[in-house]
Amino acid sequence: LLFLQRVLLLVASDVDALCACKILQALFQCDHVQYTLVPVSGWQELETAFLEHKDQFKYFVLINCGANVDLLEILQPEEDTFFFVCDSHRPINVVNVYSDTQIKLLVKQDDDLDVPAYDDIFRDEEDEEEDSENESDGSEPSEKRRRFEEDVIERTMKRRQRREWEARRREILFDYEQYEYHGTSSAMVMFDLAWIMSKDLNDMLWWAIVGLTDQWVQDKITQMKYVTDIGILQRHVSRHNHRNEDEENSLSIDCMRIAFEYDLRLALYQHWSLYESLCNTSYTSASLKLWSVQGQKRLQEFLADMGLPLKQVKQKFNSMDVSLKENLREMIEESANKFGMKDLRVQTFSIHFGFKNKFSASDIVYATASLMENIEKEGPETTNFIKALDSLSRGNLDKLHQGLDLAKKQLRAIQQTVASCICTNLVISQGPFLYCSLMEGTPDVKLFSKPVSLCLLSKYLLKSFVCSVSKSK
Amino acid sequence: MPVVNEHSERMRKFKNKGKDVAALRRQRAEVNVELRKARKDEQILKRRSISFSLMDESLSLGEEKRNEIVQLSLEEIVEAVNGSNTELQLQATQATRRMLSRQKDPPINQIIELGIIPRLVEFLTHADNAPLQFEAAWALTNIASGTSDHTKAVVEGGAIPAFISLLSSRHMYISEQSVWALGNIAGDGPLYRDALINGNVIPPLLALVSPVTPVGFLRNITWTLSNLCRNKNPYPPLDAVKKMLPVLICLMEHEDKDIISDSCWAVSYLTDGSNDRIQIVVDTGILPRLVELMASPELIVMTPALRAIGNVVTGTDEQTQAAIDAGVLAVLPCLLQHAKPTIQKEAAWTLSNIAAGPCQQIQQLITCGLLPPLVELLDKGDFKAQKEAVWAVANFTTGGTVEQVVELVQSGVLKPLLNLLLAKDSKTILVILDTISNLFLAAEKLGETERLCLLVEELDGLEKIEALQTHDNNMVYRAALSIIEKYFSGEENPDLQPGTGQDGLYDFSVEKQDFNF
Repeated sequence: LLFLQRVLLLVASDVDALCACKILQALFQCDHVQYTLVPVSGWQELETAFLEHKDQFKYFVLINCGANVDLLEILQPEEDTFFFVCDSHRPINVVNVYSDTQIKLLVKQDDDLDVPAYDDIFRDEEDEEEDSENESDGSEPSEKRRRFEEDVIERTMKRRQRREWEARRREILFDYEQYEYHGTSSAMVMFDLAWIMSKDLNDMLWWAIVGLTDQWVQDKITQMKYVTDIGILQRHVSRHNHRNEDEENSLSIDCMRIAFEYDLRLALYQHWSLYESLCNTSYTSASLKLWSVQGQKRLQEFLADMGLPLKQVKQKFNSMDVSLKENLREMIEESANKFGMKDLRVQTFSIHFGFKNKFSASDIVYATASLMENIEKEGPETTNFIKALDSLSRGNLDKLHQGLDLAKKQLRAIQQTVASCICTNLVISQGPFLYCSLMEGTPDVKLFSKPVSLCLLSKYLLKSFVCSVSKSK
Repeated sequence: MPVVNEHSERMRKFKNKGKDVAALRRQRAEVNVELRKARKDEQILKRRSISFSLMDESLSLGEEKRNEIVQLSLEEIVEAVNGSNTELQLQATQATRRMLSRQKDPPINQIIELGIIPRLVEFLTHADNAPLQFEAAWALTNIASGTSDHTKAVVEGGAIPAFISLLSSRHMYISEQSVWALGNIAGDGPLYRDALINGNVIPPLLALVSPVTPVGFLRNITWTLSNLCRNKNPYPPLDAVKKMLPVLICLMEHEDKDIISDSCWAVSYLTDGSNDRIQIVVDTGILPRLVELMASPELIVMTPALRAIGNVVTGTDEQTQAAIDAGVLAVLPCLLQHAKPTIQKEAAWTLSNIAAGPCQQIQQLITCGLLPPLVELLDKGDFKAQKEAVWAVANFTTGGTVEQVVELVQSGVLKPLLNLLLAKDSKTILVILDTISNLFLAAEKLGETERLCLLVEELDGLEKIEALQTHDNNMVYRAALSIIEKYFSGEENPDLQPGTGQDGLYDFSVEKQDFNF
């Protein structure tokens, strides 16, 4: 049926969503499904987009949006409108779960949703009988009354039971909804779909990896989930990339190879200098407390411990002495352990294609996010979104490089802002939460006007703040 | 991926894990209990976590269980009922009762067509077979709960004397069921109500009321009594009323909300009539209790109490005074601002009737601070309530002294009153115009006509009245014209400056100033 209908794709503004979108677009292309893509970055835009298109479309695909609200209530669609929701937001709204016709959720089988049982939260209104006439309003008593099957006592029991059921329901829903979190990356779900359809390609796999990595960068999933999902992707990577490629693929521009890496979690380090990366990665910056004088000293000690001359470290990474780059990861890991950084390495993947093109998954995440949230607009609203989307395709290296540059700017801006806030004690404790106010006129404050950047800033600030007040070292 | 670990992993991420969850609770928005209609039916069949077959089983099981008892077909029932085997009689009657007491669509017409009603009525007399009496009583109750024709079928089967007899049954569950049945019969209308009364239902019924009567039973009795007080054309016989009233008064002192409510309804029916009927109620001294109940937060209690008092003040000035003495004026302000529009309306109606009284009672209205809530209601109340409020103001200006009228104006009533000239309802407009005329009459007595004119003009009242000269309704147009001609057609007096607050011109303070507007 889908072949004859057009589909409206509503895609949220995060990298995981973009990756999922790419995969889906590829699948659509395969099956010649016609679609229109509309980026949305918030509820308002989602609603507006729906209203604008509801007369022309019957099928909507929502990526990374819509799962955690009562879609039917909010959008009030016609009965013949269908929604396919692939959204990592949790918890999924119970109405979406139990709606069997209009809402279709794309969820991985083992993603435990913990949804409350149907009978615990829904009740057929017809179950309720008409209780005594004067129940709650002041209407006149009936002129005649029929005596029902049950006793008054039974009826009172029923009423009491109903109240108990309702109280329990409130508790159940409260527990279900009180914490927000994320499930499996939508890109991974889409890849799974492609795999089930036997249409999965290496490119799609890469996007799935980037989607997962985005979740990790943005701290949306637990370490354990991340590692587990890496394992899942690892199997696919092996399957797709097991050929002995040194001869065949490395020379061909069109071919790409994904490799598993136990890499340093230093942001963009291969496209930067090691020094810059150490300074602008929140993990190292926070652990070493680089906003302080002692922190800078510690950094020097750290580098010295590794036997890395400052001059080398400040050079572009690719220009570093090859001898120093050998065993770099193991070296850094060993030294890092001494300095309280036990998790400096992380399981991830990298991609190789063409000549000299090597990127780590996190590189792509940062680059794409920066492109997407570029405050400089070069055209209509959606240009940046489209550009970011395009940069995920291997053929658009120029966009990718632009993204990397923007990402570096952004990471620097984040670290500077964080340092400034910590040093000037701008982080204030306010009961159950901490808050920090950035005044107009703070340098780079415009960069943080978008959700992902703002989120990154907040998380890095938080981590740094915690380190700054902790007594260790 | 182990679920438990995942959960605790997740929990570890949250700061508040140690805190008492209850401390963190706050009100959450309610999720719709009911799925949208479109999907509801499918839900019952296609829920994800329940298999259809399971549900199917439980449904059929219930049905079977019921079928076990109601194996009898309608023919079998007729046969058993007409036969002489007591066991079968009981089974059949019980089967009938079950059919008539199920939740949906009891087959009343079918049962009537079987022609077994007279036989069921006869069963009521089987004093040696209490279960049979009970089942028959219940079945007949339910038949009588239907339409007038249904009740008629029961009455014509001879049920009335039989049930009245059963009121004295030594089995409480049987007398209770009879009370219920008689309530249904009485509720059909004045004809059967009086048939019951003439059949001497009242003494045995009242005899059932005692301090040891269970609450459920008392509720039934109170409800039946209320039906015996109900309906007009004709009203219930006076002597019956006099017999029932003392018991009703008693019941009104009970602590059960439903009993209080139904007794108030009964009294409200009894006060809804001629003044001598009102007097009978007033004489019982029940008014203070009614006023007390008017202040109840329970809607089911407050509504009939308000209605009853509202009825009382439609009576004579003395009867109204009795209500005032009972404290109604202290309770009324709240009700004028009640959230429910019908309550607002009834309160305003009550107020309007008190305002139709002599100036001493109007004075009491003022003293007890009824003017501000009246103005508020006139301004912001529900439209139906506003209409009543307009009457209140009109009556005020008709019966009030000049000083009282001045106070009325000073309370700020003019503005909202003039605004209501925009209402669509001609009757209301007429009453307002009438009121304005009255105000001018009072102003004339004080020589303050021009002031009043200016005031009306300031409040955009003049343009509204002028606009009414082209109203569809003849009487409205003429009333408006009359006012314009009488008071607004002179030249402007150049000596009169629109004051800036001097002489209390635009001053709506309640403080009494010497006859100034």
